Amino acid sequence: MDFLGEGLRRAVASLLSGDAEVYGIALLTLKIGLIATVFACGLGIPVGFVLATKPFWGRRAALTVVNTALAFPTVVVGLLLYGLLSRRGPLGGLEWLYTWQAIVVGDIVLAFPIAAALAAAAVQGVDPRIRRTAETLGAGRWRTAWTVAREARFALAAVITTAFGHIVAEIGSAMTVGGNIRGQTRTLTTAVALYTSQGDFGLALALGLILLLLALLVNVALQTLQGRGHA
Amino acid sequence: MLELVGVRHRYNGRVVLDIARFAVSPGAGVAIVGPNGSGKSTLLRLLALLERPSEGEVRLGGVVVAGGNAPRAGAGPRRRITLVEQRPVLLRGTVRENLEFGLQVRGVRRAEVNTRVDTVATRLGITPLLRRRRHELSDGEVQRVAVARALAVEPDVLLLDEPASSADRAAAQTLYRALAEERARRPLAVCLASHQLEDAYRWADDVRALAEGRLSPVTPENLFRVELPASASDGDLKHVRVGSIEIAATTDKTGPAILAVPPTDIFVSREPLASSARNVFMGRVTRLTHHRPGAVHVTADVGVELVAVVTEEAARDLGLTPGGPVVFSFKASAVRVF
Repeated sequence: MDFLGEGLRRAVASLLSGDAEVYGIALLTLKIGLIATVFACGLGIPVGFVLATKPFWGRRAALTVVNTALAFPTVVVGLLLYGLLSRRGPLGGLEWLYTWQAIVVGDIVLAFPIAAALAAAAVQGVDPRIRRTAETLGAGRWRTAWTVAREARFALAAVITTAFGHIVAEIGSAMTVGGNIRGQTRTLTTAVALYTSQGDFGLALALGLILLLLALLVNVALQTLQGRGHA
Repeated sequence: MLELVGVRHRYNGRVVLDIARFAVSPGAGVAIVGPNGSGKSTLLRLLALLERPSEGEVRLGGVVVAGGNAPRAGAGPRRRITLVEQRPVLLRGTVRENLEFGLQVRGVRRAEVNTRVDTVATRLGITPLLRRRRHELSDGEVQRVAVARALAVEPDVLLLDEPASSADRAAAQTLYRALAEERARRPLAVCLASHQLEDAYRWADDVRALAEGRLSPVTPENLFRVELPASASDGDLKHVRVGSIEIAATTDKTGPAILAVPPTDIFVSREPLASSARNVFMGRVTRLTHHRPGAVHVTADVGVELVAVVTEEAARDLGLTPGGPVVFSFKASAVRVF
């Protein structure tokens, strides 16, 4: 149990002393997490909306695919992306392999089905009379969608926090396409894995605590925003 | 004119509405009467362009706006028709914001929005509720707000699904008075679905009956859901039990059916008369109502409640009074089965 106490002490000390490496890793993780969340939710929530509200051929199959993709192993996504981004791959020209951009792409691929599936469930949970009411009062497609989204705001906020949580906690893809390069692609999760394998449990635990703190801050921020709304 | 033409609408493969033609003319007051599950709400949702008919067309001003080859109805046609559902919901926000919603989506200017909201709130008696939110309202108040919200956008056609179902008597009066005022002010067509005949007759110019998704060829009184026997019991006559009486009908149908006795085909007397009528039932008058000038609706309990229509003069000559004896007679061939 000593290493836990040591870890906590190291965590507090690193945070208070402003350890450049620790803060650098945390900031990179936050940057990657926010960018990937914006793209994954920006694409996934509208897709979930369509899956929940538009009857079209193959809708049920599309929902099944999205729900199945929730269980996609992160390391497999990393592997596929590695193949695409490697020099000989179709996207090799981008030269994104072992960059933070590659980690963002992997995280988007992983979080997109989460955003789509949960958003579909959130929208399906809205009373269908809300949509009919907006339409019968003359609202167009976008205004109707916005009205329904307002009703599902708590569930949609949960979609965003879940996607963000999944992104910052993901390691398989980040390790494979990011390479865990110090100062460039080292995120909190890849750093924790590295320091644990090197036996530096204290630092690993410190970074793990920062990861938890980050998730907590994002959750609090979203809940604060929700709290401003009324029924 | 808003009309359904050749509409067959299905849910999960089951036909829930089968209507050759149904029209609401400009400025008309139409009531659709029928039991729960008869398809009234579905009919209104099709008219409101909220659902696309599985077969057939919805036309507005002669133009196909839903069904057929028409794309899904856009906001344009929908802005001319507004539906108030049987159990309406309010959108997020205050009552005032709800009343403003339809006006805002139409791009009405702020000053005009305020004027219209205040006017309609006064008419429906909901001014004290304007700052409240949906969880602070009773079901009856929500219903009144929903009607006000629909009237605020000044549609050409207002569709109301059981608009007074959650309202007390006074609130219902306020609501019907507001509708009457609105119709006096401008050519507003109102199509109301109700299971209460009295409300329907009180203000509708045209009352239609709906049973099991089909418009009845007769008026909505004296409609019964029955099980027809497989074989005729007396020549081509079938005797069908309705309440505590047996009605003789001429039909070759069997199984579940709707049986209708047109009120104008019932002969009313004080005593049984020698006639060819195969259905003669004695009972007592329960109610006499005047829906139209010159006509009296005689409701009697003859083992089941039946309604007959007689002239005021005939009612007077027969000395019909509530509680008094009465005999209803009608031919087996007058009984409609569908």
